[in-house]
Amino acid sequence: MSLVWVQQVAYRYPQNNHGLASLSLSIEPGERLLVTGPSGCGKSTLARCLTGLIPHLYHGMLEGEVWLDSLRTVDTPLWQLAERAGLVFQNPAAQMLAHSVEEEILFGLENLGLPHDIIVQRLEATLTRFGLQAMRHRSPQTLSGGEQQKLALAAITARQPPVLVLDEPLSMLDGTAATELVAHLAAITDAGGAVVICEHREEYLQTLPGLHTLRLDVPTPPEAQAPTLHLHPVEAKAQRLEVKGLTVSLAGRTIHRDLDFSLDAGQIVAIVGRNGVGKTTLLRALAGLQKHEGSVRMNGSQPDLGLVFQNADLQLFNASVREEILFRVPDPDMELYDWLLEVLGLARYEDAPPLLLSEGEKKRVALATVLMRQPHHGILLDEPSLGQDAAHKAQLISVARALADAGQLVILTTHDLPLAAQADRLLLLGPQGFVADGSPTEVLRDGTAWDSLGLSVPEWVHAPGVQL
Amino acid sequence: MIRLGTVGKTRNLALVEDSPLRRVDPRAKLALSLCASLAVMLSLEKLAAFMGIYVMLLLWARLFPEAARQVWRLKWVLIVLFAVDWIFVSLDLAVVITLRLILLAGVFALFFSTTTPAELRLALEWLHVSYRYAFSLSLAFQSVGLLDDEWRAIREAQRARGAWSLPTGWRDLVARVRDLVALSVPAVVMTTKRAWSMTEAAYARGFDSPRRQPFRHLAMSRLDWLLLAGTLTVAALLLLWR
Repeated sequence: MSLVWVQQVAYRYPQNNHGLASLSLSIEPGERLLVTGPSGCGKSTLARCLTGLIPHLYHGMLEGEVWLDSLRTVDTPLWQLAERAGLVFQNPAAQMLAHSVEEEILFGLENLGLPHDIIVQRLEATLTRFGLQAMRHRSPQTLSGGEQQKLALAAITARQPPVLVLDEPLSMLDGTAATELVAHLAAITDAGGAVVICEHREEYLQTLPGLHTLRLDVPTPPEAQAPTLHLHPVEAKAQRLEVKGLTVSLAGRTIHRDLDFSLDAGQIVAIVGRNGVGKTTLLRALAGLQKHEGSVRMNGSQPDLGLVFQNADLQLFNASVREEILFRVPDPDMELYDWLLEVLGLARYEDAPPLLLSEGEKKRVALATVLMRQPHHGILLDEPSLGQDAAHKAQLISVARALADAGQLVILTTHDLPLAAQADRLLLLGPQGFVADGSPTEVLRDGTAWDSLGLSVPEWVHAPGVQL
Repeated sequence: MIRLGTVGKTRNLALVEDSPLRRVDPRAKLALSLCASLAVMLSLEKLAAFMGIYVMLLLWARLFPEAARQVWRLKWVLIVLFAVDWIFVSLDLAVVITLRLILLAGVFALFFSTTTPAELRLALEWLHVSYRYAFSLSLAFQSVGLLDDEWRAIREAQRARGAWSLPTGWRDLVARVRDLVALSVPAVVMTTKRAWSMTEAAYARGFDSPRRQPFRHLAMSRLDWLLLAGTLTVAALLLLWR
């Protein structure tokens, strides 16, 4: 019998109609399976079905059967299923349970009931394999996003489950961390384990040999083509954001020192850099939310730039999408409102509570709330492609392009290089400041700059004939 | 099925690593903290005398700055309580109530600034609190440190979309109360989501397995026994002195 056997499984969450449409599959030892598809197609739901969290922790409507190593998930206690299938979640920070790296790994090993000496062996082997020895006594919350993701994977693989399931493991990782993670996955499958990866970002996974791909579809019809809105140009394109001597410190640590740069309005500017380099801090400083030294000026005055946060949950609280977008907007431009609903794929959710939407949808609502205020000089987008599929990324770019065409400045931070490649200008941020600045084509192919930051660029960037 | 943790991201409260109490068994520290708390029953003169001894203990344990920080956080509560008690009852009561609160804030530092969540969990298990509840409590304790960070992040996010603004005077009070909705809903949502994420993460690593074998065990050293004996003696004296 297969390691995993899924027979006609479908699931629907009790609070909405989202879930997983009926599917069957089997997974053999050593298999590498990529599950991909647009937002809302059920990738995370499938991950939870495969590991037994559905139906043990979720009580929606489940049809069909999942068998894991000859055990039917619905009849087997969760702790037994967890010994056979490990799940690494999307947000590494939210799955940290202990006060130190070592304790984080020990938690799962204790639950296996192993003898003390075997636990010590596995702990040391895991710390060595994932390069975590030097940080074994550090708090997981002080690690970078890449290190946290590595720790989350280490904590699960230390338990040696025959099946490893990862839910969007690359979404928060820079190129180097993503490449390292893929290498770990290759090693796990080489040792006979099966790996299931639910992921939007396929560019780094294509290097995994023997990767099978399962594409899921959305059960709802796609959005109609959005109408074009001709935004009124708000300012002449001669506007320029001037940043001089920007120095930002957090908790006694200098994040940015004496940054000098200028950005022309009417452009989409992407900022790329390693996890923890200070991209979000820079956006907060530009938005006036972060104390800093130095000056940030738009043609001599304080800029009015709307900031869309990485975590949309911070910004949403109203009872419907409509109320959320129109909240405290004096004399709202309803033409803009209708356009935002259409172009961001939110029209069918107008009366729905924003907090019940998917992560990708919530991010689009948060973007609409900021745009509805019509910030005078532009917007700042922190990791806007998190949780967005290709179609919604295209919508996002079309909104950004419309704003830039209207003379606004759009600055986005991202690890998503295909998204960054669509900007007008790309800045590569390192610990000492910007190391490359130019068109996406120039910067993405500037190997020296990327190497200097220890960042890797996926192969497709260098492939002959690729038009960036 | 229980939910694990209650607030925020997991993060240590600041541990005072160089405190001599850092190496003391958590059970002895728990006894010490409970004993110090007993002093709230003392009358004003005796409480003032006890505070002198207590400050010396904090200085020896290198915890005075941390205890002072905890008291500083309570400054507005202390000021309001002091003023209300003085105006409506008496100065004596105002002083005694304030000293009691200061004492309790220091006791909090005494235990929580020298104990890891894992040590707290072991101590609770030793007290026969079931593992699942001891684990939940230790996770909640671990998460407290990020409340400030999360609250600030929400305020910033709401400011960025114009749903919350910095206070500019008393006339804004009504608007600020209304703004609380914009702040409290995301706070509740984030807390619930974080608790749920932790629950999933714990069960995905075999939480609740009947096979669980704890890796670490508590063991009392000579210093721990000495501290415990001293603590119990002081507790007995406090009860007699009262």
